[in-house]
Amino acid sequence: MKRGAGAAAEAVPPADGTRALGLVFPPADDHYTEMQLDFVGRIAEAAQSYDYDVLLTTGSEVGDPPFQRVLTRNRVAGVILMEIKLTDSRVDHLMDLGFPFVTIGQPGVEDAWWVDLDFVALGRNCVRHLADLGHSRIAFVNRSEQFFRSTYESAHRGLEGFNQGIEELGLNGRMYFCGDDVASGEACLEQILRDDPATTAVATLSEASLGGLYRGLRRAGRVVPRDFSVVGLMAGRWAETVAPPLTAAEEPVGEISRAAVELMMERLKSPGTPPRNVLLRPLISIRASTGPCRSAPDARF
Amino acid sequence: MAQRGSAVRENSPAHPASPDLATVIVSAQGTVLGWSDDAQRLLGHSPEVVGHAVTGLLAVDTSHAAWHALANGESWSGRLAVRHQDGRRLDVGMRVCPSLDSEGKAHGWSVMTVAPYSPGNEAAGGPDRVGLERPFAQASVALATFDAELRYQRVNSLVGKMLGTEAEQLRGRSYADVLPDGADGGWLRRLRQVARTGSPARYDGYLGDRAWNIEMWSVKDASGRVCGVGTAAFDNTEQHGAHQRLALLNEAGARIGATLEVGRTARELADLVVPRLADFVTVDLFDAVVEGEEPPAWEVGAPVLLRRAAYSSAVEGVPELAVGLGAVDTYPPFSPPARCLAAGRPLLSGLDDPDFVRWVEGDEIRSAGVHRDGIHSGMAVPLRARGIVLGVVVLWRWSRPGSFQRDDLLLAEELAGRAAVSMDNARRYTRERTTALTLQRSLLPQVRPQQAAVEVAFRYLPASSDPGVGGDWFDVIPLSGTRVALVVGDVVGHGVHASAAMGRLRTAVRTLADVDLPPDELLTHVDDLVTHLSDDDGVNAAGPPGESGATCLYAVYDPVSRRCALASAGHPPPSILYPNGTVTTVGLSPGPPLGVGGVPFEVTDLELPESSLIVLHTDGLIQAVGQDLDTGFAQLRDSLAAASPSLEDTCDNLAGSLLPERPPDDVALLVARTRALHTDQVATWSLPADPEVVADARAQATRQLAAWGLEAASFVTELVVSELVTNAIRYGEPPIQLRLIRDRTLICEVSDGSSTAPHLRRARTFDEGGRGLLLVAQVTQGWGTRHTGNGKTIWAEQLLPTSSRWAEP
Repeated sequence: MKRGAGAAAEAVPPADGTRALGLVFPPADDHYTEMQLDFVGRIAEAAQSYDYDVLLTTGSEVGDPPFQRVLTRNRVAGVILMEIKLTDSRVDHLMDLGFPFVTIGQPGVEDAWWVDLDFVALGRNCVRHLADLGHSRIAFVNRSEQFFRSTYESAHRGLEGFNQGIEELGLNGRMYFCGDDVASGEACLEQILRDDPATTAVATLSEASLGGLYRGLRRAGRVVPRDFSVVGLMAGRWAETVAPPLTAAEEPVGEISRAAVELMMERLKSPGTPPRNVLLRPLISIRASTGPCRSAPDARF
Repeated sequence: MAQRGSAVRENSPAHPASPDLATVIVSAQGTVLGWSDDAQRLLGHSPEVVGHAVTGLLAVDTSHAAWHALANGESWSGRLAVRHQDGRRLDVGMRVCPSLDSEGKAHGWSVMTVAPYSPGNEAAGGPDRVGLERPFAQASVALATFDAELRYQRVNSLVGKMLGTEAEQLRGRSYADVLPDGADGGWLRRLRQVARTGSPARYDGYLGDRAWNIEMWSVKDASGRVCGVGTAAFDNTEQHGAHQRLALLNEAGARIGATLEVGRTARELADLVVPRLADFVTVDLFDAVVEGEEPPAWEVGAPVLLRRAAYSSAVEGVPELAVGLGAVDTYPPFSPPARCLAAGRPLLSGLDDPDFVRWVEGDEIRSAGVHRDGIHSGMAVPLRARGIVLGVVVLWRWSRPGSFQRDDLLLAEELAGRAAVSMDNARRYTRERTTALTLQRSLLPQVRPQQAAVEVAFRYLPASSDPGVGGDWFDVIPLSGTRVALVVGDVVGHGVHASAAMGRLRTAVRTLADVDLPPDELLTHVDDLVTHLSDDDGVNAAGPPGESGATCLYAVYDPVSRRCALASAGHPPPSILYPNGTVTTVGLSPGPPLGVGGVPFEVTDLELPESSLIVLHTDGLIQAVGQDLDTGFAQLRDSLAAASPSLEDTCDNLAGSLLPERPPDDVALLVARTRALHTDQVATWSLPADPEVVADARAQATRQLAAWGLEAASFVTELVVSELVTNAIRYGEPPIQLRLIRDRTLICEVSDGSSTAPHLRRARTFDEGGRGLLLVAQVTQGWGTRHTGNGKTIWAEQLLPTSSRWAEP
């Protein structure tokens, strides 16, 4: 995986002696999550293979001083932006400056360089997976309403995919917002079963509330995966640590990081090239939280 | 003769030529049996009169009391007139001494002493002293007289020879003082008994290397008091030897060949002949004989290689063995054993045989046997039976003085012949048993098959009884997707028939396992097969044991799901030791034995934690003599609870604690410790039935290989994933799953919900999709289909890239 340092140096001649990339990565709430740290590490690793250092900074809006600081005095050759919103002021600013940048997540503008997961496909695949198992009444647990309204793209695209799947298969689906905590998860599940007790499956985008979701199911007397299936659109390593382990697509952190750095290198090397995008569609890893729908009349099992 | 002559001269110096005492041996019928030269001088007749009636010779009236005593075996002495050969009348004193047997009865002949009568002789208290002296001294039997204290009084020279001392030195000495070494006290006791009771006695026994038959009678004075004892000893060696040989032969019949073991028979022969015939014996056999084969032809004139099968010595460690038990000795062609083998005849050898000397001198140990231990005579006898020579038995003498004689050789040949027949029987039995065991073993797995699902150890223990082998078998069959099948079965009956039936069944089970049938279906197929085989064979109750009635346990363990599916056809259930120490016997519904048919087999599904120990076995393990099954299972569980970390030790411990010394039934035992494949070795994905997903699946597989450090396998894997996923989407039904397993090999599996297989397994040609499979078949190590409860799985297996750090799982 390591690339020869010499070859890389040759491929990317330093125009101004700056061999650093800025990583603009606002922490979730007030601290970095494990998965965020994983990204930081992987990006640094990928950059190092091109002999680039990484300057980590925060800033979710264009006016945040850390974001402004990183752009001054040629401190970095380009920036990688994370936690992208559908309308992102940072992206607009960089576009205006013509400053080289790559986003992890799709910005709502044309002509940008980005790497992203195909949340539409993920949402759709979750529905298809559940439908394959015979489920027809499925709930979608989205991130919090606040998160959604701040136009985080994954929340929107995931929902879009879910709705596509429900629609094309003619199933019954509902969407719920859920805060990133256990209590919200439990409350959300109660709400789901209250609204439609015949619900047999949930697709969730809210990893932090999963524990609460499981707890709610236990309290409702639903055994996973015998009576109720849970599928995650996206899960980190913790999918293995819950019981039963969560069936979900895995976030390919290493590949996303590598792709982001590669796009950046390409852009730095040939500034005039048209923008390129990488859209990754990981498959749903089957673990133990989904099973055949027992109440479905046309169940295959 | 010289000795006897000198004794005569010394004892009667005053009457050098006087024929004063004649000895004649006469039968009860009055026929002359012996005629001494004194009798010729005194009475004129030459020894040619032997065979004639003594009454006629001496012209004595047959009504005379002397003749009466002779006829009745009584002693008599007195005066009598007889006629010389020249016709003159002689007045003589005559004494008739009957020969008595041990019970004091007349023995059929009497010694008659005749002396010229003179009144002076009578006054001296008996017949003429000089007249008695000569016949006594010159008697052909060893004569001795003792006084009442059992001191030697008078002996003839033969007694000196008998006791190995000079006759004249014996006079006045107590008998006990001159008892030769090795003689027992029996003679002395008898002698004392005669002196005490006055009744005659007889003693048979050895003195030195000769056997003697000794008559003893009391001598009484005029008052009837015992004043001495007379003895006459006859050399009985030849007869005694014949008797001993007969006894030895008789005993050989009872002692040799008690078992069907070649080595044991050799030992029995060796133990029998020492010390009675020889002091030292070795039994050497051709190697092939020990293994149950016929000995190979060997080139005459070449050295003979023989393995020591037995030896025995009168004194342990003497002489030193040239080769130890079980070692091979080389006999040069001129050595007596090699010569006897070449000639096929027994032969005598010893110090007078130059080849013997040459052979012995060529070997330090053998040379010491001769020079230090005194080996002086030997016999080499071939062990021949049914026209083949199995080996050679060599007998030596070193402690007893006499050389082996012709008679000994005949005896040794007879004994060797008997032993050889027994050995040949044992050899043939060994061969048959070996053949059956070889067959059995060739039908059983010899090595652990390559698989990573379980760690296994197994044993096949033949029964100790008759043919030993039976129809028990076991198997470990690697299946697709890193699963493994564990099989144990038992065919009714023993012997080669059972082994052959077992072989057929094992092959059937293997073949069906290769098609990846679930346990219940597999047993159903085997059951059908057995039914058909029985019909075809026309087996009836009296026929040889067949597959019908055989039992079988088939278990499939999947290290990914850690589930074990079992089905049994009348077979004892397995026992399981869980990692937490709990031991259970699996409660499964045993189904009918194979060939019964009609009743479905049921699958029992168990989830086994990693490192569980499964013990599969045949009923021989738990059905030791006098036990019911429940006790056997309980004992098995107890032994299993104390299982050691080593599977091999566990096998040995189970067999050791549950089986008697000589198990009555054969036993197959299979112990398996389960492994589990963890999430870092297995990845499973759900695939929507959408052709678009093929690219995603390819990318996902590549991503996974990168995470495993197996980038080298990406190209082939992408190809396989593309083909299999495309097929599944195009022809299969949802749900579709992709699975990658990184184990000893890299396995790529695509499952879907349709049970339609793409084609026969390992098809070479197919339609459009099938060409994809052909491609898959060419780039991978193997591929196949298996049917599951809810569809099918197509799998393809690749070798791991050797450069990978994961090459060693």
